Amino acid sequence: MSLLTDAMERLKGLFFRDRRDQELAEELRDHIERETQERIRRGERPEAARRAALLAFGGVEQYKEAVRDARGIRPLEELGADLRYALRGLRRNPGFTATAVLVLGLGLGATTAVFSVMYSVVLADIPYPEPDRLVLVSEKNSPTNAWNISTADATAIRAQQKSFEAWGELSRQEAALSGTGAPERIVIGRVSAGFFKALGVPVARGRWIEPRDEAAEAPPVVVVTHELAERTLGGPDQALGRSLTLDGISHQVVGVLPPGRTELGGFRAAAWPVLKLPVPVRRGPFWLRGVARLKPGVTIEAAARDLASVSARILPLWSDFPDSLAKLTPMPLRGRIVGRAEKQVGLFAGAVLLVLLLAITNVATLALVRASSREAELGVRVMLGAGKNRIARLLVTENILLTLAAGAVGLLLASLALKLAVSQLPNLQRIENARMDWRAAGFGISAALLAGILVSLSPLAALSGRGAGVQTDARRAGTGRRTNTLRSILVGAEFALALPLLVGAGLLLNSFVRLSRVDPGFDPNGLVAVTVALPQGRYPKPEQQLRFWQQAEQRLAEMPGVVAAGLASDVPPDNSGNYDNFNLVDHPVPAGRSEPASPWYYVSAGYFKTIGIPILDGRIFTVADSSNGPPTVVVSRSWADKYFPKERAVGRQLIQGGCYDCPRTTIVGVVGDIKNLGLAVPAEAVYGPVAQSGARSLNLVVRAAGGTAAALRDLREQVRALDSELPVQESIISALFDDSLADPRRWTMLLGAFAGAGTALAALGIFGLMSYVVRQRRREIGVRLALGAQPGTMTRFIVAKGMRYALIGSGIGLVVTLALVRRMATMLFGVSPTDMLTIAAVATLLLTVAVLACWLPGRRAARIRPLEAISTE
Amino acid sequence: MPPESSDLLQGTLEMLVLKALSLTPMHGWGIGHRIDQLSGDAFQVQQGSLYPALQRMLRKGWITSEWRITENNRRARYYLLTRAGRRQLEAETAAWARASAAVNGILRVRTADGTP
Repeated sequence: MSLLTDAMERLKGLFFRDRRDQELAEELRDHIERETQERIRRGERPEAARRAALLAFGGVEQYKEAVRDARGIRPLEELGADLRYALRGLRRNPGFTATAVLVLGLGLGATTAVFSVMYSVVLADIPYPEPDRLVLVSEKNSPTNAWNISTADATAIRAQQKSFEAWGELSRQEAALSGTGAPERIVIGRVSAGFFKALGVPVARGRWIEPRDEAAEAPPVVVVTHELAERTLGGPDQALGRSLTLDGISHQVVGVLPPGRTELGGFRAAAWPVLKLPVPVRRGPFWLRGVARLKPGVTIEAAARDLASVSARILPLWSDFPDSLAKLTPMPLRGRIVGRAEKQVGLFAGAVLLVLLLAITNVATLALVRASSREAELGVRVMLGAGKNRIARLLVTENILLTLAAGAVGLLLASLALKLAVSQLPNLQRIENARMDWRAAGFGISAALLAGILVSLSPLAALSGRGAGVQTDARRAGTGRRTNTLRSILVGAEFALALPLLVGAGLLLNSFVRLSRVDPGFDPNGLVAVTVALPQGRYPKPEQQLRFWQQAEQRLAEMPGVVAAGLASDVPPDNSGNYDNFNLVDHPVPAGRSEPASPWYYVSAGYFKTIGIPILDGRIFTVADSSNGPPTVVVSRSWADKYFPKERAVGRQLIQGGCYDCPRTTIVGVVGDIKNLGLAVPAEAVYGPVAQSGARSLNLVVRAAGGTAAALRDLREQVRALDSELPVQESIISALFDDSLADPRRWTMLLGAFAGAGTALAALGIFGLMSYVVRQRRREIGVRLALGAQPGTMTRFIVAKGMRYALIGSGIGLVVTLALVRRMATMLFGVSPTDMLTIAAVATLLLTVAVLACWLPGRRAARIRPLEAISTE
Repeated sequence: MPPESSDLLQGTLEMLVLKALSLTPMHGWGIGHRIDQLSGDAFQVQQGSLYPALQRMLRKGWITSEWRITENNRRARYYLLTRAGRRQLEAETAAWARASAAVNGILRVRTADGTP
């Protein structure tokens, strides 16, 4: 109760201050009147009585102040006065205010936007209940080599694990969706009932896949995304009970996901049909993802030990996979979703932080100049009785006001940037969630307050260095040695901050240029492809599939305007990364060690001609390499150099995919390297003949003489002529290569923009400092010029003085750079993070800019007219 | 700024003001005058320190104030005791009684040879 009364009284004191003061005056007048009357009554003369009454009371004004103190509003009143004063000061100096607000606003805006991106991509919880208990299980035989699990693994984990509350498998595939309009290819995730249980995501309508759906004889069911239901099934309400034809097999829709749930466990898919685990007949192939929820209290280390014992138990059961180092290993699901982004986003958060620090340093030097040019005014205030604390508070209030204004500008810029630029940012999972929300706003405001305090530090340090002595001599304003030292330290710091930014941008640019100059090994122009998948339902037998592929290849080759046509399981730059393991008959791996693995493609003979891959040794595929013939492969030159460095590879044999019972595979030819896996990846590759692959999904590849659009249209028509219900997915190979450069280009441009801003700020800083030095030493320079010094000497003097700060700062920056830059190694291609040439080049650039920034005030120094300089002051 | 009175004095002044107001609502001058009277002029209330004390007591909610027209038709600010003020007065009176009894007890102790 009394707290409330107290607050009310204080508030009244604050808001009705004038009335209160009036009342107080009236009350005190009344008091003195009564005291006077009392004294007159006692017989004193009126004049004497009045004086005695006043004396008895003491200093009226003093007591008024005491009463005001007792009202408890003095700190608030002073703050109000400081704010009013600060506002007045800032308005009086619009140049300073605008520069500071803009520089800091840009810095804060960029930082806030990057924070928002970082939050949504890296920091935000993955959207599942108790996400820390979710793990992804892989096979792993070294810290860096992990791959999917197999049917045998999954079956063993189901039977033996003790650590998981729920366990499920996932296989992500593409499937042909038909029967609901035009045929199309969609991404599906085949999942078991445990997958949904582990993630703990509710369905919006219907039910999840349940264990009974996994039985071999159960009718196939599917859970669909809200978006797919809207698009093809007449809305989520109508979807339940309808059927969806995937790869020719009808699935009943039993559940619909909530709107916006387009991914589960970090895997994006439009439909989630039931996965029916087959009975394992060998240890491989490794085609499944394992997702599990740890039991409460079970650590990931305990689960790893549990799974390691499962691995040990199943190793002797399967002879086709003798790798004793391979262990089933749980890893946090969060890592799969956040994954690589953490490092990249972290790097950019670091870069933007450097920019913000630069902006703060810059505004701090501005504030320092301002404070020293106000020395006279502050001196008068000290003389009139203002305490040092009071003046310090005034400076801090002013700077915080300034940075809060900058913060508002920053928030505005950040929300604009997030609205307009998210699509321009590198492609990262969950980046689309980045927006201006209360978190980002809170971050921006906190950063602004912190900036306010940091900006205040330098004028405060300058203030504390001065005695209480009054300095009213305006000519000497700012000559305090301490102020100048502080300023040069700040300018040096700007160079120390700018150099790492420039080196980072320089390295990315260098890396990007190298990447874009990589020779893909063929001419991507004019190459187009369509991906076709043959549904199991209508093409059940391998012969039917093969017949389709052969017919298609022949039809395409005969198309007018087509130079060549071929078939391939993947087209460059491929990112699906289909690998297979093998063991060389002549150079087998030691017992108990894992076999080497290599990118593995299935292609037709026509493919080599279509792409333009030269035959270097042996032959390519012929009709003899049929499904009944002995298995054959063609290898790339890099592959041959790696595995047969001193011998001829043609004629050698290998055991493919760990199948020791299968016939040996013979290498029949060596072909030229092409960048199958993207520009940054080595070119080793193994090609098998389509006839021996049993592939149900292939790319029809065509090199067109004319335009790609016309070629794609003809391709589509040829496929439709063969089978009107097949969905096709089109790609233009040169566009795929361009796309693969898009992200490196975006990262380079982003860091380049930061580095440009950083350099500009550092230049601005040293320009400001040297202009100030020239102004300060105007008289001295004037005298020297009058005594016969050459104007050029004056310019050189100023430039040399400024460059000392720039050089020392850059030197420190170099040390900082070398400490930070190693983190960039994984983002660079073909260039070391400590590439001396890059570092030397950007350092030269930075120092050249510094020389220019010092030369401008230096030239002004040379143009000082001696007489004017000496007489005007 | 006038020197702050010590805690004891401040507390005592507030207690005396509460006591004075428990008899009848009064204006500031009246309160000072009444305390002088009641104490037989043993206390000379620093007139200036009376008003800050009244301000503090307003904030604590022990008293309220209102403007009234006096006997000779002038406006004056009268202070009134609130219920919280009355409780405070009782509490302080009791505490004061305990404290002064204790202090008196100590002062009455004499050494063996009878000197104070």
